[in-house]
Amino acid sequence: MKEISLILNNEPRNVQVENNEILLDVLRNKLGIKSPKCGCERGDCGACTVLLDGKAVRSCLILAVEAENHSITTLEGISREKLSALQEAFIEFNSFQCGYCAPGIILAVTELLEKNPHPSLEEIKESIAGNLCRCTGYTPIFDAIMSLTGRGAK
Amino acid sequence: MKDYKYIGKDVTRIDALDKISGAATFVDDIDFGANLLYAELIESTEASALIKKIDISAAMKVKGVYKIFTGKDFHNRFGLYMKDRYVFAQERVRFVGEQIGAVVAFTPEAAKSAVSLVKVEYEPLPAVLNQMDALKSDAPLLHPEVENYPRVPWFYPKAGTNIAHWRKTRKGDLEKGFANADVILEETYSVPRYAHCALETHIAVAKFDHSGRLTVWSSSQSPHTQRNLFAEALGLSHKDVRVITPYVGGGFGGKAGVTMEIIPAVLATQLKGYAVKLRYSREQEFTNTYQRLGLIAKIKMGATKEGIITAFEHQLYWDAGAYVEYGANVVNAVGLSASGPYRIDNVSIDSICVYTNLPPGGPYRGFGYSEMLFGLESHISRMAHQLNMDEVEFRRINAIKPGDKTAYGAKMNPSGLQECIDKAAKAIDWGKKPISEDPTKVIGQGFAIFWKAPAMPPNASSSAFLKFNEDATINLLISGMDIGQGYQTVMAQIAGEILSVPPAKIRVETPDTDRNPYEWQTVASHITWSCGNAVKNAALDAREQIFTLIHRVYHFPLDALYLEDEAVKCKTDPAFILPLKNFVVEGIMTEDGTFKGGPINGRGMFMPEFASTKDNPETSQGGHPNVHYTVGAAGLNLEIDQETGKMKVLKVALAIDAGKAINPDLVKGQIMGGLLQGLATVLYEDMRFNEKGKLLNPNLTDYKIPTAKDVPEEIIPIIVEVPQPDGPFGARGIGEHTMLPAAPMIANAIEDALGIRIKSLPITAEKVALTCLREKAKQ
Amino acid sequence: MSHYGLGTLKKEENMALAHTFDYQRPSTLIEALQLKAKYKDKAHFLAGGTDLIVNIREGMLKPDLLIDVKGISELLKLNWEKETLFIGSNVTFAQLIDNELVQKHFILLHDACKTIGSTGIRARATLTGNICSAVPSLDSAPALLCYEAKVHCASPESQREIPVTEWFLAPRKTALQEDEIVTGISLKRIPDSSGIYLKLGRYSGEDLAQAGWGILMTADKQYRLAHCALSPIPKRAYYIEDLLNNSNPLNADLIEKAIALIPSEINPITDIRATQEFRMYISGIMLKRGLTAIQERISGKYIEPRKLLGDV
Repeated sequence: MKEISLILNNEPRNVQVENNEILLDVLRNKLGIKSPKCGCERGDCGACTVLLDGKAVRSCLILAVEAENHSITTLEGISREKLSALQEAFIEFNSFQCGYCAPGIILAVTELLEKNPHPSLEEIKESIAGNLCRCTGYTPIFDAIMSLTGRGAK
Repeated sequence: MKDYKYIGKDVTRIDALDKISGAATFVDDIDFGANLLYAELIESTEASALIKKIDISAAMKVKGVYKIFTGKDFHNRFGLYMKDRYVFAQERVRFVGEQIGAVVAFTPEAAKSAVSLVKVEYEPLPAVLNQMDALKSDAPLLHPEVENYPRVPWFYPKAGTNIAHWRKTRKGDLEKGFANADVILEETYSVPRYAHCALETHIAVAKFDHSGRLTVWSSSQSPHTQRNLFAEALGLSHKDVRVITPYVGGGFGGKAGVTMEIIPAVLATQLKGYAVKLRYSREQEFTNTYQRLGLIAKIKMGATKEGIITAFEHQLYWDAGAYVEYGANVVNAVGLSASGPYRIDNVSIDSICVYTNLPPGGPYRGFGYSEMLFGLESHISRMAHQLNMDEVEFRRINAIKPGDKTAYGAKMNPSGLQECIDKAAKAIDWGKKPISEDPTKVIGQGFAIFWKAPAMPPNASSSAFLKFNEDATINLLISGMDIGQGYQTVMAQIAGEILSVPPAKIRVETPDTDRNPYEWQTVASHITWSCGNAVKNAALDAREQIFTLIHRVYHFPLDALYLEDEAVKCKTDPAFILPLKNFVVEGIMTEDGTFKGGPINGRGMFMPEFASTKDNPETSQGGHPNVHYTVGAAGLNLEIDQETGKMKVLKVALAIDAGKAINPDLVKGQIMGGLLQGLATVLYEDMRFNEKGKLLNPNLTDYKIPTAKDVPEEIIPIIVEVPQPDGPFGARGIGEHTMLPAAPMIANAIEDALGIRIKSLPITAEKVALTCLREKAKQ
Repeated sequence: MSHYGLGTLKKEENMALAHTFDYQRPSTLIEALQLKAKYKDKAHFLAGGTDLIVNIREGMLKPDLLIDVKGISELLKLNWEKETLFIGSNVTFAQLIDNELVQKHFILLHDACKTIGSTGIRARATLTGNICSAVPSLDSAPALLCYEAKVHCASPESQREIPVTEWFLAPRKTALQEDEIVTGISLKRIPDSSGIYLKLGRYSGEDLAQAGWGILMTADKQYRLAHCALSPIPKRAYYIEDLLNNSNPLNADLIEKAIALIPSEINPITDIRATQEFRMYISGIMLKRGLTAIQERISGKYIEPRKLLGDV
């Protein structure tokens, strides 16, 4: 068992981990972060997405020890003060159904909009191509994002 | 058209904030503390075998292992419509992946390690891996005692065979019908199995406390069904079994009934004081949960040269898997409705549920109708071609109308099928297909119509409690499940409309069978209709209590009272405005200081008292098994790259008769989601079993479900509204139906573009490319 | 049952992978090499981990030690010197896609990087990790083979460069020795060249290649072709190159002749992703379209390779 430090949603945290513990499991079971979900354990579905130093990654493919001294952002961090404009748009457009893919998609798009505030529809699709959604057919998700980017929607 | 405040409006989902903030809790998000044990399954590696020996000695030595259970510890048999399943396999296994035991440990890793050390000795038996082999006279029998299994009275197994159920529907005179036909066409169509691939895998946690009370947390579409089956299987009283179902990360039918949830429930009774969790990996989700049944359908259809269908013979052979406790009802449902949304005087349907040594088939969005409509709607288009008739026109001529008799003799409900056909055809400019500028690409148009009724037992009912809070917000206690479709919002809209309370002020929590009253299951696209009626009745009950109280205290005539903006008002006294929050819990203080009234709690129930499965087993005539049908039509423009076979949906329109779209946004959501799921089953989802019955692609790497890049270019959702007379505000369900037309539309569009008819699914790019190649070679 | 790792527990506390191992994060190359020399084939280097973690989880690999190399700064080098791009072994696909030099001078590689996985994978996965996995369907391989890249390896005592054409020995087996680490991959610019990487997937979303063809054309219209997912290892297509480089002009007739040589170049199998028959056939289509597209690209037209095969 080893203690590691990291920044989690802008707060310094310490946690005891084994070498073979996966970041997703440590976030969920030891750090009280429930929004990233397990969907496939192979990096195929994107439900486990978190932001590592601002970049969307698959937390089911990262060992907890690899996150030492890095910064992790999850949906809880984004929602803490108040909802982002992106989140408000997703609510307004009824973009999500069962909600299981939502944390991953919200983080992936948050990263996209930070780098590129006016993405094309193709760029939006590419940014969430690794986040599977079985319910919505994706279109209401695109519509919400497009409404923010000034490129029009619906 | 009446103008409603909330009904028919695109109300924001009341669960949106939960899900988008990260607050939404799913079963695996719940912390159970230090007393949580983890179960991992020991699974069969054989498709059909006797279990000679299970050696757990090495497994028991793994540090952290608590107990190991096998079939000898639990002989409970269970099943929803028929009891043919076991918690753990008894003396034989019937499919690769079947659970034969479980290791329970203090950590999941200890459990996994131990499972790998369990040694099982099998004596392999001959296996049948498809329905036609299973029907042969010398086929090995999976369930030699099938006729003795307790089952619902409308299932008819055939003793001495692998036929678990045979639904026969006979109407009119088939021979005469074919004799009168100018054109007769016969064909066989085949559809393989499919996986639901909900993003959240199956999971259940069970705890049997020291008082003997069982609590189960599960990701399920059916908390009350689960409670019932657990109570029955374990001999417990219903009041001592509690099922709690938080948010579900997608169901699509796969989380209906009871499957793996019974394992922790039963294990818990041997692990008193502990909670035990069983969470499926993605691989187990593929190999040991319900799969969509496979189908081989033989169709023979006859029509006159004027285009009237005079005879239709439909034989459906279903690959239903090793246990059919739920799948047999899929077979049954289709057996009643496999004439499709058409008016045909002479019909013969045989829908045969066949045991095979593959994972259990079960409910999947569409409940057999997707599979059935692939063949039927492909065939209809081909019949039109044989008759030199336009495909859409041929459908118009034969489409079933309200009042027409179905294949089993009941009357068709009010429905706007013609309107759906007209609107869908117009939306894609039927008959005027665009020409591609790219010489390697060809564009074809495809069309299909569809229908489906909820497949339910005749006593599938809903009930609701409606509780006012001090501030006149409402808690609506119902046991429907949000599996993504947004029904909670729709229920809030119904209650809100009647009580003049905005839906945002109504909380619909996820069910707890201790607190929320009975709901049969969240399946069959019937919740808007059935639970909606119960909620409407509960709201009306509450409103009646309110008016009665006001009348008692203020003496206004009852019929002059109305609710508006969360207050009671009076038509005969415009100055009277009494906000609900002043009295809905506290009562009304009268002049002498006494209070009248008190907490207003509404109660509602809905039971379809006209439904009956009492029919003639040889013809299916005489019953009223289906409460109503929802109908629709869809068309698409498909661009095909002739060399690579890749297909792109340029434009797809789907029109569906929702009766009344209580929340049009959510209906459109179902259209977009359902269409994409439907298209995926045609274009690239591809389940492959090897010759030993093992699934070769139990992962999302090789079983491809659509990504954001696979969405059709243009989707046109069309809502038609011909009211359902007994639906809340005229509504009927639509959730499953949006998947139904995808497969035949694609096959029809390919024939339109390339002149090639593909009669089996999936229709991948590879299949199209190689089929084109072979056709070219023939010429 | 066989998909679970066989492992005995060393510790009591909650763990995530069934297999346990030691973990080190050296800050210098020498440290990393010393650890590797000590543990030999029981130690694995960990960079992006997108392949490695899956392999450990599914029991295919059971290392005693993981050497996390992400802290070794010299492996993050991405520099341009003497017309050669050096891609350090810690450089991710995301970084390569954003890099102007890759976009400008190594278009084949740029095409290939964009087809690998999704954004969340590309943010971690490295080019080096990719070629070390050496799976038959390796997307980066055709580009590296066409550019005749060199794989830079270091051992405690020495360094060497392995031409990528000699790198792939068999499925999942490379020329890397047990005591070596890949420090990077270098590619020399081929002036005025253009090329394309065409990847066939089952749909428009992320997929492993059913077939992959890379085609490079130099200024004097000399071609280099390479393929992946069509043979046990990714390879150059020398017969086709010979034909194209010794004939003129590149017309429909010549392309047909090139397509006829495909069966002598590739040795595809039937697997869950595609049949042998389809792979043979579709290679011809990919060759034809790829060769045509390159001419268009060289004339300045913007080409999106996925669209060429009918994807979005």
